[in-house]
Amino acid sequence: MVSRVTERTLIADFRFAVSRLRQQQADAQNALSSQKRLREASDDPVGAARSTSLRGEAKELGAFRDSVTLGSSALGAQDGVLGEVHDILIRAREIASSLSGGLTTPEARQTAAEEVTELERGLLSLANTTVAGRHIFGGLSAGGPVFASLDDVGFSPATAYTGPADTFSVRASRDESIRITSNGGDVFTSSIQAIDDLRQALEGGGDPVASLATLESAANDIRQERASVGGRLSRLQTRDQEIGSALLTAKTLLADVEDADITETITQLAQVQNALEATLTAGTTLMQTTILDYLRL
Amino acid sequence: MALFAPLSIGRQALLANERAIGVTGHNISNVNTPGYSRQSPVLHASRPDHQGFGNGVELEAVLRSVDGFLEARGLTSASSLAGATTGRQLLDRLQALFPVGDEGIGTALGEFFAAANDVANNPQDLAVRNQLIETGRTLAAQLRNAAGGIQQLQREADQRLGQAAFDGNAMLQDIAQLNREIIAAERGGRETSDLRDQRQVALGELAKQLSIQVVEQESGGVNVFSSSGQGLVIGTDAATLATELDPSELGLDGNPISRIGILARDGGVISLSGDVGGTIGTLLNLRDGTLADDAAALDLLATSLRDSVNAVQTNALGRDLDGNVGTAFFGGTGAADLEVALDDPRGIAAARGTNLADNANALALVSVAQQTFPALGGATLGDYFGSLHARVGQEARRAETAATIEENVAAGLASQRDAVSGVSLDEEFTNLIRYQRGFQAAAQLINVSNVLLDDLIGLIR
Repeated sequence: MVSRVTERTLIADFRFAVSRLRQQQADAQNALSSQKRLREASDDPVGAARSTSLRGEAKELGAFRDSVTLGSSALGAQDGVLGEVHDILIRAREIASSLSGGLTTPEARQTAAEEVTELERGLLSLANTTVAGRHIFGGLSAGGPVFASLDDVGFSPATAYTGPADTFSVRASRDESIRITSNGGDVFTSSIQAIDDLRQALEGGGDPVASLATLESAANDIRQERASVGGRLSRLQTRDQEIGSALLTAKTLLADVEDADITETITQLAQVQNALEATLTAGTTLMQTTILDYLRL
Repeated sequence: MALFAPLSIGRQALLANERAIGVTGHNISNVNTPGYSRQSPVLHASRPDHQGFGNGVELEAVLRSVDGFLEARGLTSASSLAGATTGRQLLDRLQALFPVGDEGIGTALGEFFAAANDVANNPQDLAVRNQLIETGRTLAAQLRNAAGGIQQLQREADQRLGQAAFDGNAMLQDIAQLNREIIAAERGGRETSDLRDQRQVALGELAKQLSIQVVEQESGGVNVFSSSGQGLVIGTDAATLATELDPSELGLDGNPISRIGILARDGGVISLSGDVGGTIGTLLNLRDGTLADDAAALDLLATSLRDSVNAVQTNALGRDLDGNVGTAFFGGTGAADLEVALDDPRGIAAARGTNLADNANALALVSVAQQTFPALGGATLGDYFGSLHARVGQEARRAETAATIEENVAAGLASQRDAVSGVSLDEEFTNLIRYQRGFQAAAQLINVSNVLLDDLIGLIR
């Protein structure tokens, strides 16, 4: 406790108090205008590290979401294509069944051969499907077709696939890569072979019934691939939901760390303003009071 | 003779009160003088005559109101406050190199690996590859800016040492000169209160530069030592603070940094030892400790990033868009000169094997973000930067807190010093009235004595 209070003490205390309150006022003002409580690392060093970490996490989750989106679109397109290929195989089997027994006319066989040829062309076209210029059954490679054309010299179902043997995976989380393509040859060679056999049987006078089993087997292959695609698509969709949830959590936590509590800040600002006004009023009154006003020297 | 006694007493009282009014006036006129200590006239009754009758008043001395402990504490506080304020200034600028939010290195790091993930998703897309190179350039530029900023701060701290030595020398000369004047004045029996105040102010200014110990001598002079006992002022001799570039100590910018110390007779510089304190101590601590450590941490982050990314990029199995093994992505020796060495987006080795649509190498690049590094204490690049960011924030916050505490301590000490040594105009004007009344009463005493003498002389007439 100070026993003597001089004019200098009063002025110094007044200046110190006003300076501190002005600083608090500026801090509250900055928090309100920026809506941020974390404006520099020293405001909350642990919060700054947390903010860095959460921002990195949000960027990472955003990148994973991009991968999931790419994977979903590729697998979704594959699912559609595989459905159409399955329909082609079913139609080919119908044709083969309808021509069994050797009671058909040569014209009917010719018509059927033409239809099967178109089915084979359609199948090869579907196998060459691209999304955004990338072959969904060719390891997402860009560029020319990954399956040979029926019109190519020396076309053979066994060598029709000319795309990359590698599959394409995306990173859906820190620990999980999901394959979003299959080797096109593995997927379609049995189907192309079965239809090609049927076409050649129809064109060469063979018995189309022999193709029924291979067509069924090929359709089974397609169903299996479609099931695999569906499973991976489902994983990606689940992952997409998880990422959405994790992103929301990261953003909420980031807001907790960085954002100002506006109600609290406004209350603080009001308190500081009251204290400042009181200090200014009291200080100026005290400092204007002097013994000289009362002396008659 | 007894009738002349009141005249003599009155004359002495007039003189004593006149001197007391002078002292009060001196106090009033110095009400705003920094470091001034109020003075008090000490009046005492004159020795009685041989019969034991009182002989009036006389001014024995003029006392300087000071508390030696407070003065010494004030010097310590001045050192701490100056050091803390310097630390706050520089560390506030240091933390500005590491902004919070989207502009920071942490965000740039995240964007770089997000771009790598885009390449993994679209390995043949040149636009996406270009984006990876651009985000790499942004990241490298941010690391360079931070490292360059730390270099500049270190160089500034080094240059400020020269200024601190220059300012300190002016004070050392003043203190030695004031010692000389005080010793001479006290030998002659003259008042030295004002000279002592001036010397205390000079000591306070010197203490801002470095911690000092002050030992008062019987002669009235003071000897001043650094905290480790190196003599700065001995009696009337002042040492000279000096800086010299030390070719064996290089700063972060590769140029020599200064050694600060006391100039020896042979022209060499004897380094200040121990905990130097004050502005100089803080500058040395920041230059050789905090800033150097933070720069080293940033370098470690940059080289870990460079090496891990380059290891993936130059993997023997990796292939760029032309089917070649990749070349280094990042170049440079540390954070200060980190740059993207790759200009051609086709040169990014995203594939492994001959299939150029493959993304296995790009996925390996994405994995670098999750890789932990023994050199970084088992942390990932992002986590390590986060801890560095927190450390810089802690340093700035600690400096801010220290400065605030020292400001409060200094304000408290100033109040306590003012309570002892400060001039209160209320007091001084009250004293003025007191001495004025004393003077008037003494004049009246002389007047009455004069009348009595007149009456006595009138009897003779």
